[in-house]
Amino acid sequence: MTQHLANKTRRHFFRECGVGVGKIALGSLLASSVSGSRALAQEADTFSTHFPTAKRVIYLFMAGAPSQLDLFDYKPKLKELAGKPIPPSVIAGQRYAFIQPDAAVLAPCYPFKKHGESGAELSDRLPYLSQAVDDIAFIKSTKTDQFNHAPAQLLLNTGFAIPGRPSMGSWLSYGLGSEANDLPSFVVLKSGAALSGGAAMWSSGFLPSSHQGVPFRSGPDPILHVGNPQGLDVQCQRDSIDLIQALNRKQQAAWGDPEIETRIKSYEMAFRMQSRAPELMDFSRESKATLDMYGVGKPKKDQFSRNCLLARRLAERGVRFIQVYHAGWDHHSQVANGLKTQCEETDQGCAALLQDLKQRGMLEDTLVVWGGEFGRTPMVEASTALNRSLGRDHHPQAFTMWMAGGGIKKGITLGATDELGFNVVDTPVHVHDIQATILHCLGIDHEKLSANYRGLDVRLTGVEKRRVVKELLA
Amino acid sequence: MPYDQFSVEQLAGDMLPGATEQQKLATGFHRNTMLNEEGGIDPLEFRYHALVDRVATTGIVWMGLTTGCAQCHTHKYDPITHTDFFSMLAFFNNADEIDLTLSDKQVEKNRLEAESKIQAVNDELVKKFDVADSKTKSNFENWKKDTAESLTKWKSVRPSTLDSNLAVLEVMEDDSVFASGDSTKRDVYTLSFSPAVLLNGGFTDSKIHALRIDAMPDERLPAGGPGRSFYEGDRGEFFLSELTATVDGEAVTFASGSIDSVDGTQVTEELNKKRALETVDGNGSSGWSSKLNAPRHLVLNFETPIDSNSELKIELLFERHFVAALGRFKFSFSDDADAKATQLPFELETVFREQATNWDAKQAGLAKVHYMLQLKDHSDALAELALLKEKVPRRPQSLVMQERKNPTSRKTFRHHRGEYQSPREEVQPAIPELFRANEEAGENEIRDRLELAKWLVSENNPLAARLVVNRSWRQFFGRGLVDTDGDFGTQSPTPTHPELLDYLACQFVENGYSMKKLHRSIVTSQTYQQSSAATEELLSKDPNNLLLGRGPRFRVDGETVRDIMLRSSGLLSEKMFGPGVKPPQPNSVTALAYGNPKWEPASGEDRYRRSVYTFAKRTTPFAAFTVFDSPSGENCTAKRNRSNTPLQALTLLNDEMFLEMARAIAVKSESNAESFSDSIEFIFESVLTRPMNSGEKEVLGAFYESQLQRLEKDELNAKQILAMTDANHDGDLNKRAALTLVARAIMNLDEAITKQ
Repeated sequence: MTQHLANKTRRHFFRECGVGVGKIALGSLLASSVSGSRALAQEADTFSTHFPTAKRVIYLFMAGAPSQLDLFDYKPKLKELAGKPIPPSVIAGQRYAFIQPDAAVLAPCYPFKKHGESGAELSDRLPYLSQAVDDIAFIKSTKTDQFNHAPAQLLLNTGFAIPGRPSMGSWLSYGLGSEANDLPSFVVLKSGAALSGGAAMWSSGFLPSSHQGVPFRSGPDPILHVGNPQGLDVQCQRDSIDLIQALNRKQQAAWGDPEIETRIKSYEMAFRMQSRAPELMDFSRESKATLDMYGVGKPKKDQFSRNCLLARRLAERGVRFIQVYHAGWDHHSQVANGLKTQCEETDQGCAALLQDLKQRGMLEDTLVVWGGEFGRTPMVEASTALNRSLGRDHHPQAFTMWMAGGGIKKGITLGATDELGFNVVDTPVHVHDIQATILHCLGIDHEKLSANYRGLDVRLTGVEKRRVVKELLA
Repeated sequence: MPYDQFSVEQLAGDMLPGATEQQKLATGFHRNTMLNEEGGIDPLEFRYHALVDRVATTGIVWMGLTTGCAQCHTHKYDPITHTDFFSMLAFFNNADEIDLTLSDKQVEKNRLEAESKIQAVNDELVKKFDVADSKTKSNFENWKKDTAESLTKWKSVRPSTLDSNLAVLEVMEDDSVFASGDSTKRDVYTLSFSPAVLLNGGFTDSKIHALRIDAMPDERLPAGGPGRSFYEGDRGEFFLSELTATVDGEAVTFASGSIDSVDGTQVTEELNKKRALETVDGNGSSGWSSKLNAPRHLVLNFETPIDSNSELKIELLFERHFVAALGRFKFSFSDDADAKATQLPFELETVFREQATNWDAKQAGLAKVHYMLQLKDHSDALAELALLKEKVPRRPQSLVMQERKNPTSRKTFRHHRGEYQSPREEVQPAIPELFRANEEAGENEIRDRLELAKWLVSENNPLAARLVVNRSWRQFFGRGLVDTDGDFGTQSPTPTHPELLDYLACQFVENGYSMKKLHRSIVTSQTYQQSSAATEELLSKDPNNLLLGRGPRFRVDGETVRDIMLRSSGLLSEKMFGPGVKPPQPNSVTALAYGNPKWEPASGEDRYRRSVYTFAKRTTPFAAFTVFDSPSGENCTAKRNRSNTPLQALTLLNDEMFLEMARAIAVKSESNAESFSDSIEFIFESVLTRPMNSGEKEVLGAFYESQLQRLEKDELNAKQILAMTDANHDGDLNKRAALTLVARAIMNLDEAITKQ
């Protein structure tokens, strides 16, 4: 009997229809009963454990791992030791992807300066972000367990280094349902090079597939098959759906299966998604000031800027989790040049997003997260066989991430690394703690958001004891 | 094939006596684990994760137990302990995960053809030589003589001791060393040549001036070696970073070196020397490597010749961001002060070494071809040969398990908290203690993968047959008798019909594990043949039909959705077997995957084959299946979700793949309409396999008319709807387009994708 009840709750229906079925939409489906829709809202928030400070997340994922030592974590000591090997006491027993433990120290590639009232120290590669530091909390003591891209990206996104677990956005869709009326609750945007982690990073894993992240394509039809086929206009689509609905209703009468009712609604929602998509992708109504602020149309590559702007538009339309990937930070060789290019492509978009959200009063309840999957080594990477020089290898022991908005303290820097930037010496923050903190901002206790899989109650944050980083919370 | 035999072959086909290729191939089942071949990984770490997955999968499929639970620690109320988990893991830990080269008559034939083309070019060169002027011939004779004289004489020496960080090294009969067992990104081999051995090598009087390492292919190595690289780099690649030598404990330096030119490099002597010396330059990132699956050799000349009665110790360091050690190699030494690597192809070097004169035609041919190719006027032939060699088709390979034997047998340890880096005490292979009740059945003696496989499908395992019955039941009814397919444990829901489950399981075993008989008894049952219609009463009393008061009604799996439409449209190809094919899907689906792989849709028959043949790429699964809840294949999924979403609607409505099928039905309806009252009726029956009723006929007819009117008024574009590119056509395009729209609508009905 308990089985039966569990299967029949509206919550179940709600979850199964994750994509496109918003609370409002569902409320109107159940319009006859006002109390019904209220009950629904409560049920849909079963996993919410406290009042949220953020309604949505925009996660700027810098795939490939930017060098914290040349952007955020200034270490004058590296200049002093440049060219000398790292003391064995520091490096003993560490596993690396490419370099050997006797590699020499590489000095910071760019000058640093303090900015804003908070005095956050950033390198000169981030001129736009430097203006926004007083809205940001920098975490200089992030750590991860994985030292290669795909596993580390998966660990950050799904809590597990092997493909197949639900991603953060899927967990949120599962745990909180969707606020978006005609859009998926979890959207993925991408610019730059290829992504090592692949589709497993927005997979719904063992959760229903309706919770998986929907990658948006550029152009007027961002979602696969949201555009009408060639030669077929809106009227024809409407007529076709009317016909389908009429015939399905006859079936519903004959067979009495509630699934037919759900299918009828799915087709209505599909039609609404189709109507709304072109408008979503149309930037022509954005003011010139806004476009300029993001750098949309700037001579250098502007795909990331476009994605940041699109992220804001998606946020406005109720999408819960928007992940903006930018790949191209894997600077095994010539880290200085690499950073120059990537910062030119991304710095303006990141800062503009913060400013834009702030201007619209949305930064208050939008959590913005920025970071790669690990950091980069204080040691230089050079290899004759691979033709590499003046690069930095993967460094899981310490890296910098930042968060802003959605209940995060403004203008702070949390945690610190040692004088070489090698190990965390103050307030270590594991990537699972980052996940716990994100969930917390959205009103979810990370220890309570779980789903049974192969006999275990699996959580995003794994089995070890993890913590919400309270020091970050306003 | 009966299920018990099938199971044994899937799990341990390689261990069956006289295992056939098919039986070995079957062990690919457990090679379907996720793997990471990114440069820089620790390969053994991901092998460990694969093993963890194998234990979980075996538990789900044959034991109905969530064995994976116990990876990190024992759970207080669960019968499977942490040690049980690693004892299970031990069954799978003692296998090499290799690529099995498969026999394929067509490929062999194509190879022979390609090789005969190469032979023809060579023969042509020999012919040209034979009719060449006397000057060419005398030049050749001089070259032959010079070459024979300049060949350095080498004596291979058997190492007296061998050591490595991990690999198992053994000396072969020809004094070469073969490496097996595990490998890492930083492998170190240490070899020593003691005075006695060096003396036996014949170096009694003179000094040793140089050493030579031969990298040798071996069929046991990936792609035949000579290296051990099996991911990231080319298979069989090697990279010797550093060679360090000591004589009686004193470091030895090298003055010169040389490398063969088998890879076709034509470099100056100076550059060749520089490259050879990269193996002794103290820089681990430079060294000697080869991607060719061919014999290679390197020569290093000692700065100061060493005494042959000294103890020579050599350390080889293979350090790369992937496994790149040598798999088979041989050390030789020379007392020649001018010792050098030869620049001859390996076969020709062998010819010269075996006998300098009195060559047979084949031997002479090799020399003539090589000589002719050195001459400028045959550069065309050289280019052609390179092209032809590339065209020799590779033999197909498949991933399999191959049980290890001593001395490479792996030990298994319990890993504290399930972590790869925390091995603790050693454990032996064993089935979980819980099941070891039946001592007479020898359950304490189950010690390897084959014994495990046999036990899993024996009468002593009470679960395997029940699991099969339950899975089959789910296929037919949309829900199992036990709802949690992979979990029949104490914390899973109880069966809705326990006696039925037992009965069918016993029947299944008694019928010799025949799947066909099992399926027959289910589909011929009264329960299965009931109507799926749900009355108000049934709906309120048993909304999920747990008690089977009505027949099953559920949306079919994503693959079946496509198959139904293919069948209805008449496009379905019934071709069986062979590699996967790519039905059409937009390129943007795969664009986000690593490497941005292109999805080139198949043409012809392959475009319309059953969905089971659709190429499965787990990093970007086929979109039209995923949207209908088909799992990604990353994990063993005993039970699929079944959702009902707007994205499914968009796929069925707008995916070009389904539109193509709608067009095909429309065309077919034009030619088949005679036996039906009209084309619409034909389409309806093709998709829904029942006659339409009058109400349906009315709305469909009205839709058809309204769309036809719009087409005729040019409000809709018939050619675009029909995806016609050329002007030539017959028949009424507007009517055909309207019928296509009808077909598309019918394909989108709930009934079309629902079993009822």
